[in-house]
Amino acid sequence: MTAQALQKQRKHRRRSEALVAYSFLAPYMFVFFTFTVFAIGYTVYLSFTRYNLLRPPEWWGLEGWKRVLQDDLFLTKALPNTFKYVLIVVPVQTVISLILAFAMDQKLRFRRFFRTMYYLPSVTSSVVISLIFIWLFSPQGVINQVFGLHINWLNDVSTAFPTIMMVNIFTTTGTLMLIFLAGLQDIPTTLYEAASIDGANKVQSLLYVTVPMLRPVIFFVVTTGVIGCFQVFDQIYVMTNGGPLNSTTTVAYVIYKWAFRDTTIKMGQAAVVAIILTMIIMVITFLQRRIIEGSGTSEK
Amino acid sequence: MKKIYSAMSVLVLLSMILAACATPEAERIIETVIQTVEVPVVETVQVLSTVVSTQEVPVEVPAERVEIRLSGWASSPSETALLESLLYRFSVENPDINVRYEPITGDYGQSMLTMIASGTEPDVFYLDISVFPTYSQEGVLLPLDDLMASTGTSADDFIPALIDGFSFDGSVYGIPKDFNTLGLFYNKDMFDAAGLDYPTDDWTWDDLRAAAEALTDLTDPDRPIYGLGVPPDAGRFPIFVFQNGGSIMNADFSDTLLDSAEAVGAGEYYTSFRTDQIGASPADVGEGWQGTVFGKGQFAMVYEGGWLIPYLTDQFPDINYDVVVPPAGPGGEGNLIFTVSWSISANCLHPEEAWRVIEFLTNEASQTTVLESGFALPTRISLQDSEYLATNSASAAIFRGAFNGAVPFMWGVVASDVNNGMGQGIERVYLEGMSVADSFAQSAAEIRAAIEASR
Repeated sequence: MTAQALQKQRKHRRRSEALVAYSFLAPYMFVFFTFTVFAIGYTVYLSFTRYNLLRPPEWWGLEGWKRVLQDDLFLTKALPNTFKYVLIVVPVQTVISLILAFAMDQKLRFRRFFRTMYYLPSVTSSVVISLIFIWLFSPQGVINQVFGLHINWLNDVSTAFPTIMMVNIFTTTGTLMLIFLAGLQDIPTTLYEAASIDGANKVQSLLYVTVPMLRPVIFFVVTTGVIGCFQVFDQIYVMTNGGPLNSTTTVAYVIYKWAFRDTTIKMGQAAVVAIILTMIIMVITFLQRRIIEGSGTSEK
Repeated sequence: MKKIYSAMSVLVLLSMILAACATPEAERIIETVIQTVEVPVVETVQVLSTVVSTQEVPVEVPAERVEIRLSGWASSPSETALLESLLYRFSVENPDINVRYEPITGDYGQSMLTMIASGTEPDVFYLDISVFPTYSQEGVLLPLDDLMASTGTSADDFIPALIDGFSFDGSVYGIPKDFNTLGLFYNKDMFDAAGLDYPTDDWTWDDLRAAAEALTDLTDPDRPIYGLGVPPDAGRFPIFVFQNGGSIMNADFSDTLLDSAEAVGAGEYYTSFRTDQIGASPADVGEGWQGTVFGKGQFAMVYEGGWLIPYLTDQFPDINYDVVVPPAGPGGEGNLIFTVSWSISANCLHPEEAWRVIEFLTNEASQTTVLESGFALPTRISLQDSEYLATNSASAAIFRGAFNGAVPFMWGVVASDVNNGMGQGIERVYLEGMSVADSFAQSAAEIRAAIEASR
C-alpha cells in the first residue's frame, strides 16, 4: 500500500470517528441550541424591541433600556431588595449549613436520622414549603401562638421579606449541609492527627485545617447560593406576590410581572431586566472567584 | 473491572437524568398544562346515523366535519362537566361541527398570550372584561356584528352594561357568557344577636357604618369580630367611588380620576372602617380572602360576588346569610360588573361555524341550564324573570346589581397598573398610616406614568 493510500485511509477513519462523535452529541446539541443559545439570542433581540405578544415585535433601539434604567419599581424596590436578599441569605445559609455539617460529621447518636431530617426540606417542593410557611406565619398561626406574638408577618412591610428569607434558608440549608459534609469527609484524617500532635484543639483544627481545606467547597456553595438568591422567585410568587407595597418585589419577580402579569405586556423591558440580572450574576461570580480562590493561590 | 465500568455508567446516566430534572422552579410553576379533552361526539353521531339509516330515512352525513377549537379556564370540575354536557348537546344538533374542548389550567391570560404570539390560539375562547381593551385594540378578535345579524341575534337581547363592555369602535367583539356583580353579604345570625334589622336594598353609607359599629366585637383577641370586610382590593373598592359620584378613569381611559375629590372621599370612608376598628382586611385576621373570614363568622358583612354562594354552600353549609345590593352613597348607587365573553379569534378559519357554537352556548336554553345549576348568572335580559331568580334571593341580588350604576371592571389597557394603584393606595393608608389624599395622589401619578409609557 502506498503512503498516500494509507494517509487517505487514516483520514477517512478519523472523519468517520468524528462523525460518530457528532451523531452522539447531536441530540444534546439540538436541545442546547434550541432552548439555550437561541433563547438567549432572542432575549437579546427582544431587549431592543417593543413587544406585547399580541403584535409582532417592533424595533425600539435603546428606548427599552432607557425606560428600565429610569424605572422606579426596578431601581428603588427590585434591585435593592434583591441585593439585600443575597447579602443576608447567602452568609446565613452558608454558616448554618457549615455548622450543621460539622455537627453531622461527629460521631453522634442517630446521626443518619438527623441528616435525613435536615435534608428533608430540600427534597420537598418549595411551593409546598411556602404554603406551610404561610400557615405557620399567619396572625393566628403557630409561630405567633408559641412565642406569644401578634405580628402579621406576611402583611407587614417590615416583616414580609425577612419571613421569605427564613423560608429560603430553611429550604436550602439541607442541600448545602450535604455538600459540606461530602467536603468534610474528603479531608484526610492525617491532617487532623498532625494538628493534634502539634497541640491544636478542636476549634483550632476547625479554623486552620477544616476551613482552608474546604475552600473549594465553600466557593461552590457561595457561588451557587449567590446565583440562586439573585433569581429568587417561587417563594415570593406563592407567598406575597411581591407585596405588601412592593416590599418583596425582586428582580426575577419584575421580569415575570412585566413579561406575563401586567395587562400591558412589556416583554422588551422584561428582556432588558433579564440581561441585566445575568450580567450582575456574572460579574459577582467572577469577583468571588478572584476573592475566594485568589487568596489561596500562594501554594500553587 | 467491567462491573465497575457498568456501575459507573449507570451513575453517570443517573446524574445526567437528575441534572436534566433540575429545571429552575420558577419555570415549573408558571408552566401551564393544556389538556386536550376530545368531546366524545364521534361515536355517538355515528351510532345515531346508523340507527337512522337502518330505518331507511335519508340522512345527510356531512362529507367533511369542521373542527372548532374552544378554550376556557377550568375553574372547577363540575363547571367543566357542565360545559362539556352543553357541548355534547351541541354536537348532537350539529353533526357537521366537531368541537374540540381544550380547557386551560394554570395562568389563563399568560397561556392565551403565548398562544396568540405563536399563532396557535383556539378559535373560540373565554375573554375576561379586564383584558378586553388590550385584545380589541390589538386586533386579535373578530367583530361579531355580521355573524350576529346572520342568526338574528341582537345586542339588545343582552344586559346593556355587559354587551357595551365587549363593544369597541361600534362593533361587538364578544358575547357575554355570564356575569357577577358585588352584593352585600350579611350574616343573619349576627344581626339577630346584635338586635339589628337586616339590610335592605335601600340602605345608605350611614346605615352600613352604624351596623358595622354595632356588629364589631373585639373582646376575644384570638377571634376578633369585625362589622365589615374592607380589603385593599381593586375589585371591591371602586364601587365606593361610584357611590360617591366619582369614577376611576375618564371616559376614554386616557387619564385616571383616582386623585379626584370623589375618589379620595370614597377612600376616606372606606379606610375609616379599619382605622376606627369596625372593619378589617382579611390579612388582618390571617386569611387571604374575606369570603373565608365571612364563612368563619369573623366578618359580619362583606362585599363579594356570586362566586361566594357555592363556596359557602360547600365549605360553611351552616352559615345563615343573605345578600342585598350594595348600599347607596352620597352619589347614588354604584356597582362593579365582572364578566367574561365568548370571543372568536381574528385568525379563525371557520367563523360561521365558530359563531354557531357561541350562539348555542349563549342561547336561552343553555343559559337556563347554567343558571339552574347555580354556577353563573344569565346575560340575556329575557331571563330576568326566571323562576330560579325568583326563589334564590342571594343570586337575585347579585343579578339586580347589574342594572343601577354598574360599571364593568375594566380600566383600559393599563388595567393592572390601575388595580395596583388602587390596592397600594389603600395599603399605604393601612400599613404606613399615610393620608388617603397623599396616597391616592401617588397612585394617580404612577398610573399616569403607565398610561404615558403604554402609548
